[in-house]
Amino acid sequence: MTHEELNALVATYSVDALQGEELIAVETHLEGCATCRDELDSFRQALAQLVPDSPAPSKVWERIVAEIDATDANPASTDLPAPIDLAAERGGRRSGWLTTMAAVAALVFATLAIVQQATISNLTGDSAVALAAERAAAEPGAFVENFEVEGVAVARVILTTDGRGFVVPTDDLPALPTERAYQLWVINDENLVISAGVLGHDPTAATFTWTGTVSGFALTREIAGGVIASEGDVVSVITGA
Amino acid sequence: MPAHLGLPSQVTLREQPERERDSTLVEGIARSDRASLETVYREFSGAVKTTAWRVLRDDSLSEDVVQDVFVSLWKEPGRFDPDRGSLRAFLLTLAHRRAVDIVRSEQARTRREETVPESVAGDIDEEVWALTVGEKVRSALSNLADGERQAIALAYLHGLSYVEVAEKLGAPEGTVKSRIRSGMRKLSVSLGEVRT
Repeated sequence: MTHEELNALVATYSVDALQGEELIAVETHLEGCATCRDELDSFRQALAQLVPDSPAPSKVWERIVAEIDATDANPASTDLPAPIDLAAERGGRRSGWLTTMAAVAALVFATLAIVQQATISNLTGDSAVALAAERAAAEPGAFVENFEVEGVAVARVILTTDGRGFVVPTDDLPALPTERAYQLWVINDENLVISAGVLGHDPTAATFTWTGTVSGFALTREIAGGVIASEGDVVSVITGA
Repeated sequence: MPAHLGLPSQVTLREQPERERDSTLVEGIARSDRASLETVYREFSGAVKTTAWRVLRDDSLSEDVVQDVFVSLWKEPGRFDPDRGSLRAFLLTLAHRRAVDIVRSEQARTRREETVPESVAGDIDEEVWALTVGEKVRSALSNLADGERQAIALAYLHGLSYVEVAEKLGAPEGTVKSRIRSGMRKLSVSLGEVRT
């Protein structure tokens, strides 16, 4: 369809009266056409004025709070698939699991009563943290592994035998919009995935501490400020720690 | 109303320009500030429910839509772009789309057909005026041709696709699309407002 033909459908789209191929065509066109987007926005502003203000419905707020609480506190209430048994996967199919992003996305993040068992900090400055991370990586017994996306390292995780952790992003980890943030998770020996801290939307080298058992790490994208239980927007997973 | 609503901040926010106020509230939600969500809920949930009810004609389903809309805002505040319109318009767009999705489901189809007037022209006009509040909106709607007003009302108030609108009005599909377009352009001029 031409721009004129698609533009002629924007008003019908604004009242949600399109279906099927026309709906898809207009939505695709809107992504790249500022003129049509502006017109759509003006239609939506007008439509919003057809609706009068009225009192907030009673009782719905409590339902909203309950759903938010349940989402934050009980990932089983989300639509995520069943959790992967990481222990079983470690029996020999780990590499296959690692390379299957669909399986990675199927991780369900367990909730603990204490949200932050580890804490992220970079208060000592980027260069100091990066230097400390380099020294830690050289220590005997230190775990050193990269988060990778399509074979490209986006961040390095280091965990020393006495529980000092470092996460050092590479230049290949893209910054997120400010309303989003990267979050680091520890996978313990019971296959629980526990928040290790929020790295921010444009991470720099940071430290964390972890003295419990660990079998792996995950890096996810979340809303700014982080979440108690991830919805599974997984960037990368490391196992075998 | 819950006792923990953020009334003091709400008073302050009302004094801010709309765009700044919307941004402040959504930034608060992005920081997981429930007081910000409560303020948005208190201000806009009535209109959100009205939007859904006009399509669904069902209190329970409309309240489900209200819940969906505000939980969605909580989970994905980044979807709101203050440069593209008001937070109110954004929430009503979400509500209308969700209501239309519901009404087009097989389960709700029967209920919907029972609520769409059989003798369209007169009944739809009567309904539009009954639902119209405010002199500015009434004036804007009176500037539309009958066919434009009826087409927009059937689509926006009843969640009909333009194909279904054409069937109801006994008009060619192309004509219905043209009427919706010309009507919406008139409305956007009449109801256009400068956002502060």
